[in-house]
Amino acid sequence: MPEIEITDLTKNFGKIKALSSFNLKIDKPECVSILGPNGAGKTTLLKALTNIIKPSSGSVAINGITVSENPMKALQYVGSLVEQPEFYPYLTGREIIEFAARVKGASKSRIKDEMEYLVELLSMSDYINRKTGTYSRGMKQRVCLGVALVMKPEILILDEPTFGLDPRGMKEVRDLINNLRLQKSSIILMSTHLISEAKEVSDRIIIVDRGRKIYDTTNEDNRNILKITLEEPIDKNLNLNANEQVSIKILGDQAILAEMHGGISHSTALRLLVNAGLKIKWIEPYNDIEAKYLESVST
Amino acid sequence: MLTITLLVSALLSYFSFVYITKLPSLFPSFKGFFNTPGFSERLTGFLWSFVLLDLPVFASVFFGSPAISSEIETRTAFYVFPLPIPRYILLLSKYFAAVSVTIIVIMIYILVQGFVFYSIFHGIIIQAYFISMGLTILFIFSIVALTFLISTIFNKNTYAYISVFLLYFLIFNAYTIISDVLYKVVPYYLLNNSATIIERVYLNLSTGFGNSSASPYGAGTSDIISSSLVMLVYIVVSLAGALILFERKEVK
Repeated sequence: MPEIEITDLTKNFGKIKALSSFNLKIDKPECVSILGPNGAGKTTLLKALTNIIKPSSGSVAINGITVSENPMKALQYVGSLVEQPEFYPYLTGREIIEFAARVKGASKSRIKDEMEYLVELLSMSDYINRKTGTYSRGMKQRVCLGVALVMKPEILILDEPTFGLDPRGMKEVRDLINNLRLQKSSIILMSTHLISEAKEVSDRIIIVDRGRKIYDTTNEDNRNILKITLEEPIDKNLNLNANEQVSIKILGDQAILAEMHGGISHSTALRLLVNAGLKIKWIEPYNDIEAKYLESVST
Repeated sequence: MLTITLLVSALLSYFSFVYITKLPSLFPSFKGFFNTPGFSERLTGFLWSFVLLDLPVFASVFFGSPAISSEIETRTAFYVFPLPIPRYILLLSKYFAAVSVTIIVIMIYILVQGFVFYSIFHGIIIQAYFISMGLTILFIFSIVALTFLISTIFNKNTYAYISVFLLYFLIFNAYTIISDVLYKVVPYYLLNNSATIIERVYLNLSTGFGNSSASPYGAGTSDIISSSLVMLVYIVVSLAGALILFERKEVK
């Protein structure tokens, strides 16, 4: 079973503390998104996981192997895309991905199979044999994903994987991550600025700010909360928390949050609320992550 | 680099063919030596080898200086560093690649030198020619190692280029002049001074400020060994330093 364990990770760049006693454990195949503003420490965290930087203190372990002590062994399990890398302009996209496969110990026949699979998966057939010096940012990003995905790593580390892609490309990458997530065979740890992207593809979302983890939640929890806008102000005499299956939190005069318990469906919950006397105008999934993000991260 | 090498080779070939008979008038201070058998050959070899003190420096800076710093500057480090390749293999592969291409370029010059010698003198000073060639190769290994050490320090190619030139042509030379003038000692342990053995195997000339000397013969074995040892030390120390720095290199 793939595993990432980050213990008390601190990284200083001079006087700047990029990460401060950061702890994280992922011990089952799932997609974990790291959300945070610019300079929060998201990329620094991923760099520490991929041996691009060394921790000032603390440790990062992949499948029980400490990255800074035995990077070659630890990185065998990792496919990564960190900070939109550039490639040697005189090599083709195919050579770039094949090199990554070769250093991971792939045989010639395996490399051929992997290339066929990745070219098809990432729609790179038009340019994969061209030198990367002629690529657009989006093409390079797809080759980066090819490098990350080659040899089907147990742990996939993606730093803003949809960066530089057009809307179609962004959707394809999200679908790809979702497919990998549903296969339940690898850990996907990705950073993103986009809350919607994190919510769409993640099992777990972590918000970081100023090098610290400030919120860690499973995405599933948030699907059980609805934000409800009412037609008229709430009657304060209503006993809204009488039902154990739906708990209510008042957001304002005409808005409430309804959290469902015991696995009841949205329609059942709404029926209960209507029966309690609420006049519902509008329903939307509650963006807990967005609220938490805006509430907790520094401006 | 290849163009520069070909240009310098052509210039010296032209000089050799046109002025070979006028050497005594061009070098009146060596007048007494021209009676020594083989002196003209030795002097011509010395003049050709003079270029070999600088040409490998330019070539190694051209091929070696950006080797590591460019990985950071052009962001290819983000592709290579997360791959499971030991960094020492990356560095040594690049080092041997830079050494190989530098040797190939410089060998063109040395082979042209051999051809010119053979055409003019109907033979070459076999021993001195091959010793000079071997020492040039050793010098290339050491100067490329030094450029790699400097390249691992910086994250920008320009800084790496400039630093090698400053160190080799300014600091080493300034230190040599100061030491020579004040203490009458040429610091043999500096790479630029040990590299002079490449030309001194033809003629053991020393043109320092403090103590200049001249001999119609090449440098002796002890001179060759001590210079070679200095170059070997540069290779080992520079590569060890580069390996340690590269192993700890971070991309911020």
